[in-house]
Amino acid sequence: MRFPASLRTERTRFMVALRQITAFTKRDMYGWSTYKTAAITQLISVLVGVLAWGINATYRNRPVPEYSTDYISFLVVGLVIGNIVMPIAQGVERRLNPWTLETILMTGVSVPVFVVGNISWNYLFSIIIFVPQLLIGIYWFDAKLSVNLYSTLFAFAISAIILLGLAMVSTGMRFVTKSTDPITWTINTLSQLAAGMTFPVQFLDQIFPGASSLSWFLPQTWVYHLCREAMLMGLPLTSPQMQYDLLKGLAFAVVLFPIGYYIFRWGLRRSKRDGTLGWF
Amino acid sequence: MVEFAIETVDLVKRYPASVKRMVAGRGGHTVSLRGILELLIRRGAFITALNGVSLQVKKGEIFGLLGPNGAGKTTFIHVLCTLILHDEGEAYVNGFDVQREPRQVLKNLQAVISGNPGFEWRLTARQGLEFYASLYGLSRREANKKIDDLLRFTGLKEREDDMYQKFSGGMRRKLVICRALLQDVPILLLDEPTIGLDPSSSAEIRALLHDRLSREDGKTILITTHNMWEAQEICDRIAILYRGKIIACDTPDNIRNLVHPETIYSINLQISKFSKTHEKMLEELRGMTGVRNLIPLVSTEGTLEKLTLHLDKNYAVSEVLKALLAHGMGIRSIETREPALEEAFIALTREELRK
Repeated sequence: MRFPASLRTERTRFMVALRQITAFTKRDMYGWSTYKTAAITQLISVLVGVLAWGINATYRNRPVPEYSTDYISFLVVGLVIGNIVMPIAQGVERRLNPWTLETILMTGVSVPVFVVGNISWNYLFSIIIFVPQLLIGIYWFDAKLSVNLYSTLFAFAISAIILLGLAMVSTGMRFVTKSTDPITWTINTLSQLAAGMTFPVQFLDQIFPGASSLSWFLPQTWVYHLCREAMLMGLPLTSPQMQYDLLKGLAFAVVLFPIGYYIFRWGLRRSKRDGTLGWF
Repeated sequence: MVEFAIETVDLVKRYPASVKRMVAGRGGHTVSLRGILELLIRRGAFITALNGVSLQVKKGEIFGLLGPNGAGKTTFIHVLCTLILHDEGEAYVNGFDVQREPRQVLKNLQAVISGNPGFEWRLTARQGLEFYASLYGLSRREANKKIDDLLRFTGLKEREDDMYQKFSGGMRRKLVICRALLQDVPILLLDEPTIGLDPSSSAEIRALLHDRLSREDGKTILITTHNMWEAQEICDRIAILYRGKIIACDTPDNIRNLVHPETIYSINLQISKFSKTHEKMLEELRGMTGVRNLIPLVSTEGTLEKLTLHLDKNYAVSEVLKALLAHGMGIRSIETREPALEEAFIALTREELRK
């Protein structure tokens, strides 16, 4: 079957972009794999981290009615999702170093390719360790999961857009501030407290009345919430609650993504204007 | 048809300066009233890196951009490769505007910026080149062929599986040039391509740029360098950039002659006791129209051994030789020395400093 010329061009562009993203991923994987000791300790520390938190959770075990589950199941899902969220929020800024950034930008790669390419290895690595982490949670700590595959895939897809938006905000700010940028730092710090990784956000209201409303402005809250609904409550795509929350999450992603893109472009342009692109 | 590979018109680039720096006095430590007034009047603190640079680089030529540290050379290169946005003026690469058409610019030009190799330390040379080939949009087959060719071309094929960090300075520089050549662009910008290299590696890089890339492949090459000898050796034309301004732009020979329109001759004579006849001869030589300077070398034993003369470029040295022979002088050998580009560079920049 022969496609029209315009479609063929789009397909070629897509294939080139895919190859470019693969190149970024391979570069990071090769680089990572050369630090053998660091790679092994990184793996161990992630698994030990889950064990440590699991023990803690078992000790404080109690039900979580918001997701119709117990605390250990809630926490295990929160932790494994957290291990995906946290590296991505910082993924690009780790790659912003003066000896490669300018050369890479001289190749003319687009903004989305640059951002996706730079976080994809972290994302893939997080996905790879996601399964053993879950298995430890299930078989060691008796976490009870009720996974709906399609809802989980949708939740992951929306989460990816949200996280990409966050990564672009973070990178754009880092172009300008060079060190810790206040926006990402605030988002990440607030997220540790209020995004609901280790307790339901509604619990915040018992300490600070009305604080849970603030949580829904944090990108990470949506990621945890959607993934938990899909993995703990097993809500199908046909469920009105799942549809409604996916739609709200999508709306959040649709707002955050262009803001992230704009901040990235602004940061890059500002840095080029100030002549500080290669400074870090 | 675009005539120039690179063209800039009144290019201006200002960097924001810290208030502390602007109000500081000459020593940089005390606050100066003049600094504060300037800051208030101009309502902003800037350092002007490029101050109305107009330059045209012809297609296929090797163009050298010379200048002391902080002259604006690296800023100029960064503007051309779209990494810095200029404030005023225009800059074109093969007719494409660097601010409005950056993608087209980057398809026509690649740069090697000193201190910014672009390679991951722990990736092999081949892996690094494969990464960039993918970013340039080359297919796997194209990339493999191109990488093989470039590694052979630069003599790095045998070391392709070694990590970048194991490479010597010269090898790294060659690898960076390979990266710039992956896309086969017609224009190359090289920021101090031989800095920190030993003489043989520098010579290899120069031969690569001049013989292969420029003369054989017809690429336009713009290099920045502090090495005057290198500029004189390989550049078709050079420009001297000083405090963000072009103060001279011509062929290396013409630039040298701007300051020193003379040729220096050393005439080794048959040794003879210095006498009154010699004095008369020297007086006659000094009276010749093209002779600018005449220095006799008389030994401690009182013998005349050598004459050093500065002659006008267009003056025939044969006139001097005739006069010497007429006075019965025997000539053993003659050496000529052109004024070095370095002398012209120093003279021109000092002149600018005095302005």
